[in-house]
Amino acid sequence: MTDTSALRAETGEAAEGPFSQHQGPFGAFAIGSPSPQVGTIADAVRRCRWIAVDINASGFAMFFAGPTAERDRLVACFDSDYPGVSAATKFMSGTGGEEMVRHTRLSTEPRWWCDDGAAGSGAAFRDLAWVRETTPLVPATAGIAFPVHAERGQCGLAVFFGLQIALRQDQLYEIHARCFALFSAVARVRPGDAGLSRAVSKRELECLRLTANGYTSEAIARLLKLSVHTANQYLTQCAQKLNAVSRTQAVAKALRLGLIE
Amino acid sequence: MTASAAPLPSETAATRLASRGDVTGFLMELAAEVGAESYMLVAIVHDQARDDARIVASNWIFDAVELIGRRLVAALAQGSFATAPGIRPQPLLAAHAADMDGLLTGEETKLLDVLGHGELYSLRLNVGRQRLFVLFSSPEPGRIEREALTRGQMKCCYALSQVPELLAASAAQDPLSDRERECLFWVSEGKTSDEVALILGVSANTVNSYITHAIQKFSASNRAMAIATAIRSGII
Repeated sequence: MTDTSALRAETGEAAEGPFSQHQGPFGAFAIGSPSPQVGTIADAVRRCRWIAVDINASGFAMFFAGPTAERDRLVACFDSDYPGVSAATKFMSGTGGEEMVRHTRLSTEPRWWCDDGAAGSGAAFRDLAWVRETTPLVPATAGIAFPVHAERGQCGLAVFFGLQIALRQDQLYEIHARCFALFSAVARVRPGDAGLSRAVSKRELECLRLTANGYTSEAIARLLKLSVHTANQYLTQCAQKLNAVSRTQAVAKALRLGLIE
Repeated sequence: MTASAAPLPSETAATRLASRGDVTGFLMELAAEVGAESYMLVAIVHDQARDDARIVASNWIFDAVELIGRRLVAALAQGSFATAPGIRPQPLLAAHAADMDGLLTGEETKLLDVLGHGELYSLRLNVGRQRLFVLFSSPEPGRIEREALTRGQMKCCYALSQVPELLAASAAQDPLSDRERECLFWVSEGKTSDEVALILGVSANTVNSYITHAIQKFSASNRAMAIATAIRSGII
């Protein structure tokens, strides 16, 4: 593929693609109209396969990295064997992925590897700027891992591997950017939290945001010209909707979900 | 722009970013590469009532920053036109800015235009879990190349990944001890002091004192704020 066609594919996709709708950092708020193509993991897999084809990778996998230091494992989201789970994914979900999780929390630089069994396949990466070598994530292969982040603070990792990967410097940025777009789409699709966040009202969020900034109920009441009871009621409702046991946990949950900044 | 034959200036510097000066040099090269005249690297600081901007690097003239003000810079950076990696960048055009959901007043847009920021892009950067924004602007619309911006956005993420300590001041480096962090984590999961005491096998008084220390270290006013600070800076 020539450089221009790669770029056109990228920008064309960015202009129309469901995964690339223009969204601000608070975009996740307005989940609104889920377009049919975004709906499922299967679509994400198809999209990821396109990326893999563009760099000639034979396998891929998308992971979530646990948000806190207590959980250092890669949590598999899908891989090239979807709906099954490949052996490579199982391997990375084990202790092999811990180092990459820690890397992902601190840095956005991609990491490549080339196992002894795949000698020569690492040549595609060796001369790339920004990309450094790491210990093999999947035995007997070469591959590259892209740290990715979504609006709500979720981290993840997009991994591509194979024996014949070809990746040029100018392509690196485009591929990584597409992984970012894909991951935010996946993070939005992932069930569980989306329903919660829509139920919380604007007023409740406002109170929660002020609580996160150190305001007491009394101060919030004064600022928003409410009675203290109303402010407390908003916070209690908010905690209930977020399935939190205390307002402190509600603050933590809302921050992690990206409902407040 | 043609393919990878000769590395771009911002790529030759790739593996050697170490100091604040390097960051400035890198951003200058990158601005030239995308066709922008001005750059500004911004971290968002959460203040009590509103968000504030901590400017990490910038070649905006002093008056522009002073006249526009940091709070407005923060609003611009996080505004609805800010672009996450992988999304086609949309510019804020000073000429149409007044229409954008009340982000700027007419006077402020005029000011931006006069100060040489007729067209402005805000790109979100993810440097590990830290989030920053880089603004690229030029006096006249159409000079900045969008495809180059998308590449530049990734380069910025990579380059800043090499110097996390320079950005860390924006996110308050982790001042907590392991025990304090553990306590805060469990409190953020909704546990009471008594429950945390059971989990960690210490007394509730000890737990409370850990948490008090954490609150003091963050100069927070209460638990909720300490936890918010810790989560925002990626400590828990």
